[in-house]
Amino acid sequence: MEVRIAVLRIEGTNCEDETVKALRNVGAFAEAVHLKQLYSDMIKEKERRSLRDYNGIVIPGGFSAGDYVRAGAIFSARMRSVLRRDIEEFIREGYPILGICNGFQVLVELGALPGMDEDKPLSEKPEMVLAINNSNRFECRLSYLKHENRGNCIFTGALKKDIVVYPVAHAEGKVTFPSGLESLHINRLVENDQIVFRYVDERGNYAGYPWNPNGSIYNIAGICNITGNVFGLMPHPERAFYAWHHFDYPSEGKESEYGDGKVVFESMVNYIKKL
Amino acid sequence: MSGEVFRKVDVDFPLYQVDLLSSDDETLQKISDELGLALNVDEMKRIKEYFRSNGRNPYDIELQALGQAWSEHCCYKSSKYYLKQFIFNLETDYVISAIKEDAGVVEFDEDYAYVVAFESHNHPSAIEPYGGAATGIGGILRDVVCMGAQPVALIDPLFFGKPDFEHARLPRGTKHPVYLLSGVVAGIRDYGNRVGIPTVAGMVFFDESYLTNCLVNVGCIGIARKDSIVPSRAGGEGDVFILAGGLTGRDGIHGVTFASAELKETSEEESRGAVQLGNPITKEPLIHACLEIVEKRLITGMKDLGGGGLSCAVGEMALAAGFGARVYLEKVPLKELNMAPWEIWVSESQERMLVTVKPELVDDVLYVFDKWDVTATVIGEVKKDKTLEVYYNGFKVYDMDIEFVTGGPEYCRPYTAKKPQPPSLQEVKPPRDYEEIFRKILAHPNVSSKEWIIRQYDHQVRASTVLRPLQGRINLETHGDAAVIKPTESLRGLAITADVNPWMTKIDPYWGTASSFDEMVRNLVAVNSLPHSFVDCLNFGNPEKPERMWEFVESVKAMGWMAGEMGIPCVSGNVSFYNETPHASVAPTPTLLGIGILEDIRNAITSYFKKKGNSIILVGETQPEFGGSVYSAVTSQPASMVPRTDPQKLKKYSKAMLDSFREFNVLSCHDLSEGGLAVAVTEMCIGGGRGAEIDLRGIEGDTFVKLFSESNTRWLVEVEERDAQDYIAYLISRECSAFEIGVVAGKEVSFNDIDFQLELKLQETERLWRNGLSRFTG
Repeated sequence: MEVRIAVLRIEGTNCEDETVKALRNVGAFAEAVHLKQLYSDMIKEKERRSLRDYNGIVIPGGFSAGDYVRAGAIFSARMRSVLRRDIEEFIREGYPILGICNGFQVLVELGALPGMDEDKPLSEKPEMVLAINNSNRFECRLSYLKHENRGNCIFTGALKKDIVVYPVAHAEGKVTFPSGLESLHINRLVENDQIVFRYVDERGNYAGYPWNPNGSIYNIAGICNITGNVFGLMPHPERAFYAWHHFDYPSEGKESEYGDGKVVFESMVNYIKKL
Repeated sequence: MSGEVFRKVDVDFPLYQVDLLSSDDETLQKISDELGLALNVDEMKRIKEYFRSNGRNPYDIELQALGQAWSEHCCYKSSKYYLKQFIFNLETDYVISAIKEDAGVVEFDEDYAYVVAFESHNHPSAIEPYGGAATGIGGILRDVVCMGAQPVALIDPLFFGKPDFEHARLPRGTKHPVYLLSGVVAGIRDYGNRVGIPTVAGMVFFDESYLTNCLVNVGCIGIARKDSIVPSRAGGEGDVFILAGGLTGRDGIHGVTFASAELKETSEEESRGAVQLGNPITKEPLIHACLEIVEKRLITGMKDLGGGGLSCAVGEMALAAGFGARVYLEKVPLKELNMAPWEIWVSESQERMLVTVKPELVDDVLYVFDKWDVTATVIGEVKKDKTLEVYYNGFKVYDMDIEFVTGGPEYCRPYTAKKPQPPSLQEVKPPRDYEEIFRKILAHPNVSSKEWIIRQYDHQVRASTVLRPLQGRINLETHGDAAVIKPTESLRGLAITADVNPWMTKIDPYWGTASSFDEMVRNLVAVNSLPHSFVDCLNFGNPEKPERMWEFVESVKAMGWMAGEMGIPCVSGNVSFYNETPHASVAPTPTLLGIGILEDIRNAITSYFKKKGNSIILVGETQPEFGGSVYSAVTSQPASMVPRTDPQKLKKYSKAMLDSFREFNVLSCHDLSEGGLAVAVTEMCIGGGRGAEIDLRGIEGDTFVKLFSESNTRWLVEVEERDAQDYIAYLISRECSAFEIGVVAGKEVSFNDIDFQLELKLQETERLWRNGLSRFTG
């Protein structure tokens, strides 16, 4: 199947350029698409788009609509109001959706993640929250991530390493479940093989701040839905795409051209090709 | 006075005619004061003569426009004379456009140019730190975008009073330095992060002179295809003016006149309205829309609305093209009802851009803005003769020659030299307790880790950051010398650093500025980049005071000397005077933003030790130069000998260093600046989590000089042990001094000299250095 990926944006999404570049680098046709291009009458014919034009969606990082209310809430509300059925169908048919940072927040607000019910790709209301960091402020740092998915997530299937390094940069990234039901949720996520990345320290051990930069429960950095085709993570794989992204900290493999983040985009594209 | 001098014009909106023609000097001054024009009697008289020759009295809007255009902020009336003499004459063949436009444009490679702008946002930030700093970022982004460039990096040097200043002793109307720091950082963070431009460099400096007048300087670098650079001028007669972006309101009225006077106790109540309100989520789509109309080649010119608002932008765009303009003010979309024409005309409301378009392309341009949900409106047109006419509901409220309005006064302000103190080499003594002093230096807020600030800025968005401001072990990084970004698809990179040493300029503005320039060059060289260009943001006190003017002239002279001899062009800049209150004037602060070029970003060099057993080489000569040093501050020993430098020597060393990076496998490099060798070694240790054994016996001089002097033109370099002797021999063959001073070691940082040992656990040095600033900020 020809790979066609839409990187959705509205005002304030700001990682679309580098995300489009990453996707193109691994052979996809990818373009940044303003949400208005999918529904608004004022858009000229040649700029109109439909979700049906694509077989993959990425919601990039940024501060959609400013994130002045809960991060991702406004972007997801706009998507829900105009695209809800289309997105449900998209997920049900097995097409992949990736949400990075603000995109993860959008997918959570949209009810696409944690996505534990196969029959309901979008839950009625959000089942988890990416809450304000324990430090109570925006923080930009690098994070060690341990890959713990057993094969369900279609975005990390080709990952050879146990531990990767991706940057994080957010104020609201603390995975939080309804009070009292935390272990229930985590057990189900583990059982369903929905846990993808967890924050660890430089030795690969689960650790607290700053290794877990936001205070996420169970050190969760990224999860997928039950069918493995919707994936959200706070860290930025597109900022670890090339080897030179890893330049200023001690690491091996600087000789290679690519960095730890490439695998996410590559896996997405390879998965679509096989559909 | 009001009744006789100000006559309400018989129209159904607020408009007054001002009786200048029959006013005496005293009345003229009162008119200037009452209208908030900040013009002096001589300037008012010049205006009076102009209107006498036109045979009529001016309207309030005309006087307001002149107040804006002739303010220090807009016309550089106190600085132009000296800037022309010392700085503006340095152009090299790769400079595409310097000084004349909103930002400097410099060749990056065959296809691309980088665009750089640098400004102060001091007064607004002192009154309202969050909003002031945020709009500073907004303004500097517009300066770059209006050239048709995609912003790729933000830079933010900040200057505050001492963080431990007692609250009880704060002068009335002054906010605490830590409150200002937190507010300013939050403002830059929330604006810069939201628009998605990485903040990759900057500096923070604490000194008592900034207590009542903090400084917030903001810089931005953009990248554009050379053939897409947009001029800040109209294309020709008949072009249409489109105003795009935010609505126009009463916020930010008199921002430039407020910025061109001293702050005082009551500034907050009087001038809060002069601080604009920023909105990054209006700006972000505005940037996209502006870059889209540039890419589609739909416009003839673009200019951002900054100081002076429409009153400055319209005239300058028309005149730069050799034309005039006609504007219909009632078409400007407003935030609030019943604004007087003059308020609309001079409002500095944020997030606005003015473009000129050929009439047949107006609809295409409006469509792009509409697609991005950005308000855009046709407000006027370009006309043949060089006058500017402004109408409001069909009534002509403004009619002046643009050349008169933009031809502001220029002063050659007198200056008097401060009595020079004879430099004395014997004045500074060794410390009684080396360890105590070393600990104090590491924990000094001007030296210690700036992590608390740096991490609040996204320095990696756009995924083009190669060298981050923090380098080394993840979560345990050290400071880098310069950030490196990769702005295009090629492997060519830009190195970015911001430098000034206000303690040195305070003692000696000439050598202090020269030292700051030296530091800028050192930082660029340390990451293996060729120094390419720089911009300056010159923050000084009241230029009407001859001793302040002297500081300015000395500083500009030194900068011109260093830049000229080094062949590094100054491509843009900003002068901010009146950073002065009845309590103090700021230390002379000529902030420099330096830009270097790396042929291949894969050859960038980081600042932390890589491997135990490697050799540490000191490059450069160490003299007892403690004027403005951290050592002098923490030992409370006044010192007048500000470090000297010599551009020819700096040039020789820079060239030799860059060549040595090609000849040898250099694993890390760090420049020596605040705190001298002792701090530089420790910072390199911290980033790598490795100690060092330093042996200073091979260098002449006193131990405390070797450890703490801040002599210029020095670097530390790490090479493998087997290369050390060859490396030194190479530098000596290039007529540079170099000494092997030790090895990368285990868990201790130790300094040894004849009958001397100073040793601290690496962990302990790191604890002091990491908490030096955060102990105040929490």
